[in-house]
Amino acid sequence: MTKRRMFIRMITASLLRRRSRMLIALLSIGIGATILAGMVTIYYDVPRQMRAQMRSYGANMLLMPGDGETLDSDKLARVLTQFPEDALVGAAPYRYVRLDMTSRQQSFTTAGTDFSQVLKTSPYFSVEGSYPQKGREVLVGKEIAETIGVKVGSDMELTWQPTAKVSGGDAASDRVPGATLTGSAEGWSGGAVSVTAVLDDEAKIKELTIDASTQTAEFGGRTQTEPEFAAQFIGKGLPVELGKDVDALTGATVTSTAVVEALNGARQATAASKPNTVRYTVTGILTTGGEEEGYVFMSTEDMEALTGEDKLDVAELSVSAEEAQLNAYAEAVTQSGEGVKTRLVKRVTKSETAVLGKLQALVFLVTVVVLLLTMICVSTTMMAVVSERRREIGLRKALGASDGSIRVEFLGEGVFLGILGGVLGAILGFVFAQVVSVNVFGSSITFQPLLLPVTVLVSVIIAAVSCLMPIKRAVAIDPAIVLKGE
Amino acid sequence: MALLELKNVSKIYGELKALDNVSLHVDKGEWVAIMGPSGSGKSTMMNIIGCMDKPTKGEVLLDGVDISRESSKHLTDIRRDKIGLIFQQFHMVNYLTAVENVMVSQYYHSMPDEEEALEALGRVGLRERARHLPSQLSGGEQQRVCVARALINHPELILADEPTGNLDEANENIVLDLFRQLHREGTTLIVVTHDPEVAEAAQRTIVLEHGRVAREVINENFVE
Repeated sequence: MTKRRMFIRMITASLLRRRSRMLIALLSIGIGATILAGMVTIYYDVPRQMRAQMRSYGANMLLMPGDGETLDSDKLARVLTQFPEDALVGAAPYRYVRLDMTSRQQSFTTAGTDFSQVLKTSPYFSVEGSYPQKGREVLVGKEIAETIGVKVGSDMELTWQPTAKVSGGDAASDRVPGATLTGSAEGWSGGAVSVTAVLDDEAKIKELTIDASTQTAEFGGRTQTEPEFAAQFIGKGLPVELGKDVDALTGATVTSTAVVEALNGARQATAASKPNTVRYTVTGILTTGGEEEGYVFMSTEDMEALTGEDKLDVAELSVSAEEAQLNAYAEAVTQSGEGVKTRLVKRVTKSETAVLGKLQALVFLVTVVVLLLTMICVSTTMMAVVSERRREIGLRKALGASDGSIRVEFLGEGVFLGILGGVLGAILGFVFAQVVSVNVFGSSITFQPLLLPVTVLVSVIIAAVSCLMPIKRAVAIDPAIVLKGE
Repeated sequence: MALLELKNVSKIYGELKALDNVSLHVDKGEWVAIMGPSGSGKSTMMNIIGCMDKPTKGEVLLDGVDISRESSKHLTDIRRDKIGLIFQQFHMVNYLTAVENVMVSQYYHSMPDEEEALEALGRVGLRERARHLPSQLSGGEQQRVCVARALINHPELILADEPTGNLDEANENIVLDLFRQLHREGTTLIVVTHDPEVAEAAQRTIVLEHGRVAREVINENFVE
C-alpha cells in the first residue's frame, strides 16, 4: 500500500466514521456552496431575466424618419435586420392620422400598427375584448369609447379626408367616377402642358380640355388647337396608353406624351387623395392609463387600404440590451444610411440600468456575507474537531508525525470536505437558482457547466482557508499529552 | 553497550526540580523498570527519554546521539525511528480499525504494509480482530494492538508508560508475556510503572523519589 492510499484511507475514515461532526462542517460548506452557486447563477442570469421583465415597461427606442425622409414598412424591415434577433423583443410600427366619424361629428387620432408587435413592445396594454384579428376591425381607447358610447362588437364608420381634395365624385370608389381631374406635365423645352378631364359615371373620360399654350403653335400647340387630338381620349378609361388607346399628333410627339402623362398623373394623385370611408367593428376597448386611451388602433393593412399610402410615422422598439449596447445599436441604425433617426426612451433605459446595478450589488453582497459566514462556521467546526481530537493529534505526533504531516492531514480533510460540499452545493445551488428564477421571474435558467468546477474550487479554497487556524492549533499540540496523567 | 545514557540530567520548572541530577545507563537488550510515587519525576524522565521534552541540564545519549540539544523536528525523527511507545490509556485513533492503527505507525515511519501489520497483530493474538474499531475491542485487546503498533517498525527501544495500569490481571499477564518475548528477541524495554509485579518482571528496577534516583534493584528472580 502506498503512502497516498493510506493517507486517503485515513482521511475518508475520519470523515465517514466520525459522521456527526463532519456532517456539520460538510453541511455548512454545502450550504455555503449552494448559496454561492445559486447566487452566481442568479447574478449572471438576472440581467437577462430582468431585462426581459423591464421590457414590459414599454419600448426603449424609437425609430423615426430623418429630416426630409420618409419611413415605410420595407425600410423598417431593413433597419430591423441590424438588431440581433435575440435582442429585439419587438418592433411596433405606427402611422398616425386623424379620421372623422361623421355620424358623431368627431374626429380621432388613429394609429395603424402591427398588433402582434404591440403585444411585445407595450405588454402593459390592457384590452377588454380582444385585439383586432382580421381586416376592418379596430381597437378603441377607453376615453373615446366612453365619449361616443361604443362597446366591443359595435360598428363605427371612419372617414379619411386627404388634405388635397378632389371636387365631386364618389370618394368610396377606386376610380373616382364623376370627378374632375386636373394635372400637368412637362412638354417641349420645359413648358408645362395642363389637362382637365371630367369623368363620367363609369370613370371614362367625358370631357378633356388641353392647355398647350406654352408649346410651339405649329407643333405642340396643335394638341390644343386641333380638337381631333382631344377627341381620341373621350370614352377611354384611365390610365391611357399612348400608341394603343390614343395616337400622338404627328410632329408633336413630345407634347402628346406630356398630355398623356398629365392625365395619368392626375388620376394617380386623385386615387391617393380621395376621401375614404370604411366601416369597422370594435373588437376591444384599450386601457393604458396614458394618452393611448384617446386613440383608435387599426392594423397597418387597414390603414394602408384606407389612406392608400404605405407610410410610417414612428416605430417603437423594445430592445433587450444594457444602456451602452442600446446606444451602440442606435448609432448603427443612424449610420446605416436609411434616413432613419433614433431616440432612446431615457426614462426606461436609465431606470433599467440602475435597478440592475443595484440588484447585482445586492446579490454580490449577500454572496460575500454567506461565504464569510460559511468560513466562520467551518472554522469553528474544525476548531472543535481539533480540540476533540487533541489526543489523537498528540498520539500521531508521538508516533512520529511531523508538523507537516499533521498540516497535510487536516488540510486534506478540509479539501475533501470542500470538494464534497462543492459538488453538493453546485447541484443544490442550481436547483435553488432554478426555483428562484421560476418563482420570481417565471422562466427557467440553463445550467452553466463551468459552474461546477468554479463552485468546487471556491468551496475548496474556503474550506482550506477555514482550516488554517485550526491547523495552527493542531500543530501546536504537545505529543506528551498522550502520556499518563494528561 | 549502552543504548541509553543519562548524564547528570536535570529538568527544572521554575522552583521545582522535576529531575535533579539524574544519571542512568541502559544497555542494549536490557529490560528496565522505572518506579516511584507520583511527582517523583517518572513522567518527566519518560518525556525526555521519549524525545518529547528536553532536559534543562545534562546530556541524554540515545544510541550514541545526544538528544538533549536536538531541535524538536529532529526529536520527532529520532522518536519515529528508534522508539516504540506504549501508553497507559492505549490511545488508538478511534475511527481507524486495529490494523489501520498499526499502519498509521508504518505510515509515519516509512511505508504502510497491511500484510506486515496483520502479522504484527497475529503476534499479539489479534489477527481475527484486525478489522474491528477500538470501540469494539476490550481494554486488553486495545493495549495488545498498541504493543503491535509499538513493535511494527522494529524500534531499538520500547518505552511503555504504565502499560498495565488500566488492565485486569489476565490481560496484564498477556502484555507481560509479550514483553518477555520482545526481550528474548533483543529489544530494549523501559517500563515506567508503579505496580511492583510489573517491575519485578524486569531485569532491573530504578526507583525515583523527588527527582532523584533513590535506589536501584536488580531482580534476582528474573527468568530469561
